[in-house]
Amino acid sequence: MSNTLRPYLNAVRQTLTAAMCLENFSSQVAERHNKPEVEVGTSKEVLLNPVVISRNDKERVLIETSVNSLRVSIAIKQADEIERILAHKFTRFLTQRAESFVILRRKPIEGYDISFLITNAHTEQMYKHKLVDFIIQFMEEVDKEISEMKLSLNARARIVSESYLSQFN
Amino acid sequence: MAFRKIDIDALEEDAFGEDEIEFQEIGELRPLSDVEAEVNSRAQEVRSLLQRGNTSGALTTALQNPPYGAPYHAAKARNTQTVMEAVISVKVVDMAQVAKGLSPEEQDVLMKYLYAGMAAPEQYNSGHLLSFHEKLTEVAGQGCIVRVITDRRTV
Repeated sequence: MSNTLRPYLNAVRQTLTAAMCLENFSSQVAERHNKPEVEVGTSKEVLLNPVVISRNDKERVLIETSVNSLRVSIAIKQADEIERILAHKFTRFLTQRAESFVILRRKPIEGYDISFLITNAHTEQMYKHKLVDFIIQFMEEVDKEISEMKLSLNARARIVSESYLSQFN
Repeated sequence: MAFRKIDIDALEEDAFGEDEIEFQEIGELRPLSDVEAEVNSRAQEVRSLLQRGNTSGALTTALQNPPYGAPYHAAKARNTQTVMEAVISVKVVDMAQVAKGLSPEEQDVLMKYLYAGMAAPEQYNSGHLLSFHEKLTEVAGQGCIVRVITDRRTV
């Protein structure tokens, strides 16, 4: 692990642990409704300050908290065109299967590649530290995954071009 | 169904607005010129302390009495710059020691500025801020982060 990745993930972990203090809270606007306040944004007094944790200007995490829900948005490193396409395909693949990931948001927040929405129901069903671990692990894996895909894509492109050009020999 | 999108509660006379939340936390706002003058003089003081090599002194000075409240955009940005100058001059090995030397209030203010700095990665070196964040969390605990997230007095 490179030397800036460790403090980065550590800061995200600490901030998430601190922010994930959620409780059941019914809507103040509509009776008998109970919705994630960070999404609806109708009552300003239950929204807390959003914080950004950045490793560099490409990689950053936005954590928005409210009384009963928490939204984590991740911007994945995209150094070149190939990585941008791979990251897009990868996050699209995941978000289309959002229901099997439980906390995954179907659409990322603008400016970010993938978002998670954690509500009080999730923290009641699941262990808080496991939820934090899941997000941290996701952040670790996604970089690895994309650079691996990039390598295999390049290798494949090389083989294809070689076999194509060999017929002109 | 467009009428359902209208927020009728906001049209009410005694609606609970953003400025009211802020007033509860901050109280009466000071005149803009006072705040700007204070921020500017503090920036000078911090710079002169830094030139003399007194980094921990510069950091404590930079963290005094930060400008809170919506109207002070320019003063806030200026003060963030001042604090970042002091933060960046602290060496990585000294960070834990410096963080320990701050009072709990100063630690909270520093944490606010660390997050403010990380929100602008093209302007400030995130790697340095991240390691300071790590050291400060070790000293001040997670309560410090919770206070940054919940405090309406943003920097």
